[in-house]
Amino acid sequence: MRSTFLRILRHRFVAVPLLIVVAVLGWNAYVVTHNDGIVRGVVLGPDGRPLAGATVTMMEQNFTTNSDRGKTMTRADGAFEFTDNRSHNIQLRAEKPGVGRSGLVVVRLYFRAQDVTLREPLRVTKPAG
Amino acid sequence: MIKKRTRRTWTHASLHLAMLAVSFCMLLPFYWVLKTSLTGENIFVYPPSIVPVHPHLFYYIDVWYYIPFPRYLLNSVVVSVLSIAANVVFNALAAYALTRHFRGRGAVITVLLSCMMIPFQTTIVPAYLITAKLGLLDSYLGLALPTFSTIVCIFVYKASFEAVPRSLIDAARIDGLSELQIIRRIMLPLSTSAVATNIVLSFIWSWNNFLWPLIVVRDPLMQTLPLGLSRFLSYHENTTGALYAFCIMVLAPGILLFLMAQKEFIRGLTSGATKG
Repeated sequence: MRSTFLRILRHRFVAVPLLIVVAVLGWNAYVVTHNDGIVRGVVLGPDGRPLAGATVTMMEQNFTTNSDRGKTMTRADGAFEFTDNRSHNIQLRAEKPGVGRSGLVVVRLYFRAQDVTLREPLRVTKPAG
Repeated sequence: MIKKRTRRTWTHASLHLAMLAVSFCMLLPFYWVLKTSLTGENIFVYPPSIVPVHPHLFYYIDVWYYIPFPRYLLNSVVVSVLSIAANVVFNALAAYALTRHFRGRGAVITVLLSCMMIPFQTTIVPAYLITAKLGLLDSYLGLALPTFSTIVCIFVYKASFEAVPRSLIDAARIDGLSELQIIRRIMLPLSTSAVATNIVLSFIWSWNNFLWPLIVVRDPLMQTLPLGLSRFLSYHENTTGALYAFCIMVLAPGILLFLMAQKEFIRGLTSGATKG
């Protein structure tokens, strides 16, 4: 009885769909526990030190358009956090009047609202000229 | 003796080399589609890179989220499952009837074979009118209806059923089995290759069907994957990576099913091809 069950389980028509189902369930479990929409990062000033009081703008990128999704200010340590990202493809930009602004940083995520901490800081530079 | 063996080895080696070359030519377009789906590289770039540069999966994620891909996938799966179930059952019934001797059997076979030469496009208007009269437009059943039975698959079953010894069927009949029970308990278990061939062919035809869903579906949420692909093309012409990722996502289930069932599929197609 047990050997018959194992034989059926090992058959490729059973094993392959079963593996796919397990992978999908595992992936969905991971998504559910990591989709709070938190985006964390650090902004550095032109001197390479953390920049406090900079405005970080988050934009949601579509195939053809960018739409503004929110703004936040950096803390004393230059860190910022968004808690309401609902997209899988965002762009971030930091700026501070009188100091300068960073380039547009594209952040690609593996699922919507994935919690992410940026590996590279946003670097604010002085405007040219 | 050694000379003969050496010659045979060389023949085998050259044959394998030729097969490798043919396989390479046939797989190269698939590889190119897969590579472009991972890199988004413009297909007109010169010189083209053979190996993917900075590959990533984000184009697949774009496809999943920017269009209702899960819905298209569900529609395609439901229609394919309906088509497979109907093909396995109806074709078996038709094929079993054709293995029996009755007056006009030759004429029925001739008509069926003749119908194979009529392209579906020519019968699409009556098919649409019948589906509309039945009230099945914009429904899963309406999408699957024309693929419920295919003549090729009937003949695949027929070839397989004819290989079952006549004495076995007679013995089953003496034991009190009805004709339906003979099909279910004797014919189908002895024709697993034909069943696999029916499953693979009906799945691929239904999965890749474009024209019929295009005509019978009005609701965007009832569209299947090939329709979604064409809609995607018309909306986003410049997104090479996402477009190729979509192609891979449409192709993958068919390829997977074929790879799983290829042994039975080939056996099913070739059974009945030789006598004895």
